[in-house]
Amino acid sequence: MVYVKWVFWGVFWTVVVAFLHYTLPQHDVVRITDTYEKRVNPGDNSLFWSNADTGEDPTATERDVFFIQTFRDNDKPMIYRNEDTGWGWPPYFKFDTANLQAEASDMMSKKNAATSQWVVVRHYGWRNELFSIYPNAVSIRAATGPDEQIIPWVKIVVLVLLAALFWAIRVRWIRFRERRIAPVVDEWSEGVR
Amino acid sequence: MLALMRLLIFGLIALTTLYLGISWYSRSVRRKKMAQDWEEAGRPGDRDAYIEAGMAQYEQSLRKRLIWLVYIIPVTLICVTIYVTNFM
Repeated sequence: MVYVKWVFWGVFWTVVVAFLHYTLPQHDVVRITDTYEKRVNPGDNSLFWSNADTGEDPTATERDVFFIQTFRDNDKPMIYRNEDTGWGWPPYFKFDTANLQAEASDMMSKKNAATSQWVVVRHYGWRNELFSIYPNAVSIRAATGPDEQIIPWVKIVVLVLLAALFWAIRVRWIRFRERRIAPVVDEWSEGVR
Repeated sequence: MLALMRLLIFGLIALTTLYLGISWYSRSVRRKKMAQDWEEAGRPGDRDAYIEAGMAQYEQSLRKRLIWLVYIIPVTLICVTIYVTNFM
């Protein structure tokens, strides 16, 4: 039984951590090399596409999605999709996809350029080549250089608040169990009167 | 605009549940505290009347009004997020 318990909590916490890692904002310092627009047809991976209802018909099966092609400091490529999240999940309330695409194409910087323009891309999500999953870029700004350090304030605040909430509920639940449930169970099992 | 409606309706349901839950919890904590106060004050008069007087005070208190923050904080956060993400 003790293994069942371990496996249960292991799976539970893995899912929680993966969910937070996917949803919370992350920052990359990259060089934008191109922006493009591609017809996509989400299938099994549709969970990882946003398709928000921001005025257009969200029931269409095929649609065009903006993409931003970048290279990181280590010369590895990273491709972002650029989609509205609208009023849905995750709660970034992003509606300015077309504006972001304009900003991105304004900051292009190829390898052979005399000076490189590094940018900070704030995004959420994962890149997975096997399932054609792309992180969603939320905002872009110019970076001071390829080694700019970013303090992830939003992530810190959200995680601290979540930990506090978890702790508050846990403490109250344990107290409730000691006071209300344990005495009743004792009474049933031991016949204490 | 279906997505906005969905957010508003489910948000309202979730926040109202939270509001009612916190109100109930806060009231029960206050009630317990009044009972304890009554013991410590040397059991002045009727216990139930003492507690009810304390609860009547609670209904007027700032603490009770602060529970409205359950609605105010998320709505403010959403407005700020929309502004920062799209218009800044």
